[in-house]
This record gives sequence, C-alpha cells and structure tokens, in this order.
Amino acid sequence: MPFTAKSGKFNAKINAVSIGTGDKAITIGGENVLPFYTFDDAIENPPKVGIEITDGGVENEPECIQKCYEGCASVVDMAKKAVTFEGVDFLSIRLEGGDPNGKNKSTEELIQLVKDVAAAVDVPLVVCGCKNVEKDAELLDKASSALEGKNAVVLAAKEENYKTIGASAGLAYKQVVGAESAVDINLAKQLNVLLTQLGVKGQSIVMNVGTASAGYGFEYVVSTMDRVKAAALSQSDATLQMPIITPVASEVWNVKEAAASEADMPEWGNQEERGIDMEIETAAAVLAAGSNAVILRHPESIKTISTMIKALV
Amino acid sequence: MRLLDLIFNGNDLVYERVEKAVNEAVEKYGADKAVAFPDTAYSLPSYYCMTGNKVGNLGELKDALGVVKSMMTRNQRLHDGFQSGWATLLCAEFYEVLKYIDGAKPYEAPYTGHLSDAYVREQGVPLVTGDIPGVAVIIGPAPTAEQGAALVKSYQGQGMLVAMIGGIIDQCVEQGVKTGTNVRILPLGDDILSVAHVISVAVRAALIFGNITPGDAKGLNEYTMKRVFAFVNAFAPLDNVTLACGAGAIAMGFPAITNDYPFSVPKSLIVQPDVDKWNATSLEARDIKIKITKIDIPVAFASAFEGEIIRRGDMQIEYDGSRVDCFELVQTKEASEIEDHKIEIIGPDIADMPVGSKQSIAYIVQVAGKNMQSDFEPVIERKFHSYLNCVEGMMHTGQRDMIRVRVSKDTFNAGFGLKHLGEVLYARVKSEFAAVVDKCQVLIYTEPEQCTKLRHEVAIPTFDKRDERLNTLTDESVDVYYSCIMCQAFSPSHVCVVTPERLGLCGAVSWLDAKATNELDPQGPCQVITKERPIDERIGEYEDVNEAVRKFSQGALDDVSLYSIIEKPMTSCGCFECICGIEPLSNGVCIANREYAGMTPIGMTFPELASMTGGGVQTPGFMGHGKHFIASKKFMKAEGGIERIVWMPKDLKEQVAERLNATAKELYGIDNFTDMIGDETVAEDPESLLAFLEEKGHPALSMEPMM
Repeated sequence: MPFTAKSGKFNAKINAVSIGTGDKAITIGGENVLPFYTFDDAIENPPKVGIEITDGGVENEPECIQKCYEGCASVVDMAKKAVTFEGVDFLSIRLEGGDPNGKNKSTEELIQLVKDVAAAVDVPLVVCGCKNVEKDAELLDKASSALEGKNAVVLAAKEENYKTIGASAGLAYKQVVGAESAVDINLAKQLNVLLTQLGVKGQSIVMNVGTASAGYGFEYVVSTMDRVKAAALSQSDATLQMPIITPVASEVWNVKEAAASEADMPEWGNQEERGIDMEIETAAAVLAAGSNAVILRHPESIKTISTMIKALV
Repeated sequence: MRLLDLIFNGNDLVYERVEKAVNEAVEKYGADKAVAFPDTAYSLPSYYCMTGNKVGNLGELKDALGVVKSMMTRNQRLHDGFQSGWATLLCAEFYEVLKYIDGAKPYEAPYTGHLSDAYVREQGVPLVTGDIPGVAVIIGPAPTAEQGAALVKSYQGQGMLVAMIGGIIDQCVEQGVKTGTNVRILPLGDDILSVAHVISVAVRAALIFGNITPGDAKGLNEYTMKRVFAFVNAFAPLDNVTLACGAGAIAMGFPAITNDYPFSVPKSLIVQPDVDKWNATSLEARDIKIKITKIDIPVAFASAFEGEIIRRGDMQIEYDGSRVDCFELVQTKEASEIEDHKIEIIGPDIADMPVGSKQSIAYIVQVAGKNMQSDFEPVIERKFHSYLNCVEGMMHTGQRDMIRVRVSKDTFNAGFGLKHLGEVLYARVKSEFAAVVDKCQVLIYTEPEQCTKLRHEVAIPTFDKRDERLNTLTDESVDVYYSCIMCQAFSPSHVCVVTPERLGLCGAVSWLDAKATNELDPQGPCQVITKERPIDERIGEYEDVNEAVRKFSQGALDDVSLYSIIEKPMTSCGCFECICGIEPLSNGVCIANREYAGMTPIGMTFPELASMTGGGVQTPGFMGHGKHFIASKKFMKAEGGIERIVWMPKDLKEQVAERLNATAKELYGIDNFTDMIGDETVAEDPESLLAFLEEKGHPALSMEPMM
C-alpha cells in the first residue's frame, strides 16, 4: 500500500499583521500550520528578526556589542548602523532610561529620541517601554502619537495599563498594539479580550506572551507558546490568533552566562561567544515554540537566526 | 403645551435662524465657496457621522440643510423628539461652520470654539481609560457666580472635562477660575449654538475610538450612550432652543439636569432645585464613578505593612472583640440612603481614650450600587482584614464580631484618628469593588453601650442570616456554577467547577467568592457555567459542565463529575487543602490534609498522594478538595457520601468534627460520627484501622464495595 502523507494544516490561521510602511514593511503571522511545519503547508511569512538598541546608546551595550557600533556618536547613529547588519528586518528601540527607579529620563526627551530615530531609518519600528507600568502608559501614549502614520509596534500594553496604551496606540493613532502577559495562556487571552473590548481590532494586536532566557524557567515559556498556538490553530480560538513577538535580547544579556566576564569565570570561556550562544539558543527555541518574530541584540546572533529561518522556511 | 411641542418649537427657531444664515452666506460668497472647520479630517463631524456625507462648500451645506429638514418630523412620539433634537444640533454645526469661512478665527480668548482632531485624540485616550471620568456640559448662568464657579471646580477636582456655554463663562472669569484646554475647562462660546463644538468632540471620539462608520447614526448614539460619559447641566430659565439641543443630547445618551422646569423625564431630564447637589445628581444620573487614586491618611498604606505586629507596649489603643463588644459589618442600602464618602464617628476618638486601653468599636460600611447584591457583603467584609493591616502601625485580626484592632503610638502621633480608618475602608472598597459599589459611607461607633446594642440587634442577626443563607445554599437551589482557572499558570489543564456545596479544592474560593469574582472581573478566572442539561444526577454530570471544562482546559479534559471519586472525578491543580483516597481493605476513604506529615493507612504520605492527584489529570480513586467540603452532603455522594470516611488526621478531624457530625446525624442518624473515624493515634496501617472500624461498627464496612 502506498504511503500517503496526511497534511497537518489547520482550518484556522494566525492573523497576518503588517508592520511598518513602504518597501521595507514586513508581515508576521498568517500561517495555518505549527511553527516551521512547511511540509504541512506553505508558510507565507517566515518569522522576522529585529535588532534592539536602547536610549542609553553605545555605552549601554555589553562590551562585546559596543565594538559593532564603533564610531557611532549618538543613538540615531546607532540606529542607522543597526539596520545595516545582515538579517535585520526591523528595529526595536527600548526606552529603558525612562524607568523612574532608574535614570528617570523625561518623556519629552525620550519621545524626541524616538522621533529622531524614526526619521533616520526606513525599516519597521518597535518601541518598547521601560517596564514601569505607569511610566509606560505615558511614554507609549506619546510614542504612539509621535509615530503616527508609521504603523509601528508599541510594546507593550499590560493588564495594568492596557486601556491607555490600547486606546492611544490602537485607536487614536492606529499603531500595532503589543499585548504583554506573564507566561500564562489565560492572562494572554484575557488581555486580548480586554483590548478587543476596548475597540482595538484583533488584526492590530501582536502578543508578547512573556519570555525568559533559556535555562531560566524557560520550559514555562515554551509550554505557554505551545498551548497558545494549539488553541489558536486546533481550536480556532480567535482570541489567541495574534502573532507572537518575543524580545529575547533584554532577557538574555542579563543572565550570568552572558554577563559574567571571562576574568571572573575563566572555565566558561569567551564571554562574547557565550552571550551569542545564549541569544541564539533562546531565539531558536522560542521560534520553534511559535514566536513569529524575535528581537535580538548581537549582529552575529541575528545573522545566525536569520540564516536558520531561511533554511527552514 | 406638551414637552415635545416645546422641543419642536426650539428646533424650528434654530432651523429658521440657520436657514437664513446659510442663504445669506450663499448670496454673499456663492454656492462654490468652501466651508470647513480647521484641523479636522472629518468635515462637519456631526453631519458626516450621522449621514455619511461630507460637506465641502456652501451649496452642499444648503443641500444638507434639506436633509436636516427631513429629520424634523412632527409626530407626538419620542422618536420625533430625538430626531428634532439631533436636527437642532446639526443646525448648530452648520451655523458654526459659517463663522470659519476664509480661515477666519471667530473665537477669541477665553472662548475656544472648534476643537482640533489632535485635541480629541489627546483627550480621547484618558476618556477611554476613565482617567477623565466624564464630560460636563454647563449651559447658562448659575443663580450666583459663586455657585457656578463652585460647580465647575467640583467637576475639575474629579478630573472631568468641562465644556461651558453662555453666562457660566463670565461667572467663571469673574470668580477667577482658570480656563483653557490645558486645565480641561473649555469655554466654548457665548451662543447656545456653540454647543456644536462639544457634540463634535463626542462624535469624533465615536469615529476614532469606537470605529463607528460614518452614516451609522444608530451606532453613533449607542456608542455615545455606552462609552461617552457626558451630561448636561442647564441653568433655568430653559428656553426652547436650549431644550431642543438638550433633546439631541438625550438622544446621544447624555442626561440633562436643570434647576427649575415644569417637566421632567426620569433619567433624562432631571430637575434638581439645589444647584449645590448638581455634581452628585449628575454623576448618579450618568453612572459616573470617580477613581480614587490616593488614600487620605497621615501614615503609609502598603502591603509591606500587612504582617506588622504591634506589641502591647507600642500600642496607643486596642479594640478587642474577645473582651468587649466589637464588630465590623458591610450593609447594602438604597442609593438614596447613602451620602458618598461620608465618614461619621459616633462616640469618642482615639485621642479621647487613655493610652494602652481596651475599647469597643463597631464600624459599619454601608454600600449601594446597581449591581450590588447582599451576597457580596461577606466577600467585601473579608477584605477589611487586609485593608486595615496595610496601614502602617495598625494591626487587625479576626472577623465579624471577633475582631481585634491595634493602633500603634507612632501612628497615633502621626495624626491618625478613626476618621482615617474610615478613609481607608472607603477608598479601598470604592476602588476594589468599583464594579458593584457606586456609593459608600462609613459609620464608626465607639460608645460601649451603643456597640453592645448594635452588635446584638444588628450585627449578630445579620451574621446568623448569612450563615443560614450559606446552609440553605445547595447545588440544587442555584441556576449556575462557576469555573475557576486561577491555577492554570502552573497546572494548565486543571479547571475547578465551584458549586455551593463544593468549594474550590484550595479552600479559598467558595461559590459566593466565585460569583463575586465573576461580577467584579467579567473576563477573569471565574466564568458562569450553566447546569441545564444533566446527564447523570447521581454522579453530578452535566453536558454544559463538560462543555465548559473542555473549553477552559483547552481540550485537555472531556468530562467531569461533581460528586464521584471513581467516575470522571474532578481534577486537581496542586493547591488542594486535603486529598482523599480509597482504602480498599475497609471499603472506605482516607483523607489527609496538607499539614499532616505522617503516614496514612493508604500507605502514602500527603506529598506522595499529592504527586498522584495533582497536575490537572483525572486519577480515579483520588480527589483533591477543600476542608470545608468534608462535611458537605455532596462529598463523594455517588459512592455513598461521608459514611465512607474511615480515617483522617486527628487535627483535621477536630477542625471538621462539629459540621461533619451534624451532617452524619442529618443524613444517616448517626451520633458523633467522628468517633468512628480512625486517626494516626489509632492506626497508620490498614489492618489496625480495620480492627478499629470493626470495633466501632463503622458503616462503611457494610456498604457495597466501591470497586
């Protein structure tokens, strides 16, 4: 009897969400199969890779990344350089200096920076907040206004501030709203429901379902993503069909495997290699678990992950 | 004359005035002359949203006037009144746009006139989030300038957006009230027709934030009714033109409050002669809740203080329910009986008492709300413990009439008084229970005789009534159960089905808690489960429950029974207070609680049992449950009920004895049933347990085999 392969494609599919404008615009999602299951059906939009810079500029980067930005005098210079690295599909600027418990930079200063960066590059943009929910509500509201017409991703609205960020980014200024929850399918779903009840269209939402560096409770991340994709595809749960975007860099470069210097940990070997390895491992795993986009920091990791995606899709 | 005729008359007057103005403009500039409001992409926003048509020049404006005329039907029906109201507002918009011909700037400070799209977007975000709780549109001069200014300031203090038309503006200027877009007080214009500018804001909010399609008049009215919390305050005398504009506002869902008028319409046109009460009347009429962001007390309030112990030597005062009469109570009242944020202290304050003394206290929190139910009273009351403990230098233990409250000397010296205790309760109840509590007041009694009297005449009867309610609350007497998936973060396929007689296995979520959670957070972890299609009453299996479990477990679980430990038992997350497992030799079940560290006759310790039972999988023969469930008539009812219990740790037995014995007496006529149940002092192995049970004549021995 001849073997007939049965396709595992689903009737439901992940929403296709476009980010950015013009020639460089990208689309994530749209697939009706499990991650990288191209043998079940074609995946029209391969996962995308973004590069992260922060308002802190070159000094804020790990030493091994600083050298990639040699000669960059400002954050805007960095942004221009960042988008030239191989494999970069979009640029993410993280406004971590806004944190009231950190540098507490003013909203005006950071928004001016966002405007300057937006003017300097033509790739799609992601704006990330500082992780303080009150400050993010203010920052990302203003960022949505400043980026009007850019179709940027605003990362992210959380349960505590989804109304402000959802109304601003999703309704008033028509950006793509990032919905961030903490590694729990129900919380992810609840936030999507709340945002859509607010009036934000499901097609303008992308999820950050939470992440961790590989080895740091990472199995929770993977199982959450697995379950989200399973519910979205096999159960046609429209409240979970938003594509997933995962900021990997901000987790990975803080763990000791990436941060400890070779002087402190000679037996661990070269620090840069370790950092790149951690970033690649984490990114590859979240992509395999269902992320439609990852945000990384080291040009070498970006190149590798981008090559991997091209080889698989 | 009837109210509708007055509205029609006002509408006619405005129409004539606008028709004349439009005709004059056409004559002066020609029909091709462009008309537009500055800084908006929505043409004439109200007309565009109502009809779907944009107006670009005077000729089109004249055509639009014809469309408006067709709305002005004159039947004696409410619909005609609303349509004429809208027609009046559209006429106002036409009249106003004429002023902007040739890029003119018709409004000078303090007047704002037309507001830009950017302004609508900027203010729209806080409006959508509720940070701006509502929009007050104030028309005409108040009886005195002081009253007018006070009203405006009262709204401003609540964070509202205030739009003003006519005499009220001069009064505010006279009283030195700062106005302008930056302070959210907008003097629109002197003429009543400038009302078009605030209507235009509401309409554009619907277009931008509500995704309303232009031309969808019904959708527009629905959106503004549900999402734009605006209302009108119009001072007497109300002329027919103002009334006609008001009819338009009412059509959009905005109630109007006035101080003197021969007509009133419930919920829509409200006469409140006392202008000082307009703020409260308006908020109630439009169902606006003000967010409380700060608790007004002289010490810190944070969960960091929750575990703080106040030693005898450090305490300024102690209220001790175990020695003198004390209690805490939530009461549901009618909205009219409650003055929001009233905090009344009846009797001496902390400062009037000797240092370190033991005193009586009774604090009653009275609440009212459209969605309030008396079932929520204990749910709210139980939170007092956490609220008061979060106050720096305050300790609270117990509940109901067995409370103990200590206030430290430092906190007292910082200026803390009983008023602040009231402030804490008020602020927390209003913010945490905003979905059900619209109004709240706190009464604090400290006279010992009064506390004694209230305790016996009010508090104890209420507690008794609640207990009775809980006792009569059975699975059969309710229409719905609730799901609880709070634990899915770590036990992804587990779903608790919470019924009145089977609380969540963690022991923390009763049916009433789940009901309140659902009411307070409709998208949250507790969802309604209907129970309309029973499959098997004996084991408690329902088609609707199975469907819900399938949905909430994302397909991991197909079916559960509510009352069986063997057939499709309910799953467990891992939070169970107790685990019950079959002990085959004695034909019964053993229960172990989490605190019990020893061995059970099943041959497994609690942790070993837990590893069998948790993780959201069905393990026939094992079941996780709350302590309270042990005395329930539904406890493994399918297998014969509590008669099957043959063993539990001594501590647990003592905790549940009273209720368990009562249930056994009621169901089987057995006295002191717990004496027949073994514990670790009798046996930790099945053989000695069996000997003990035989000696006691335990009913399980003669029951049908379980397996």
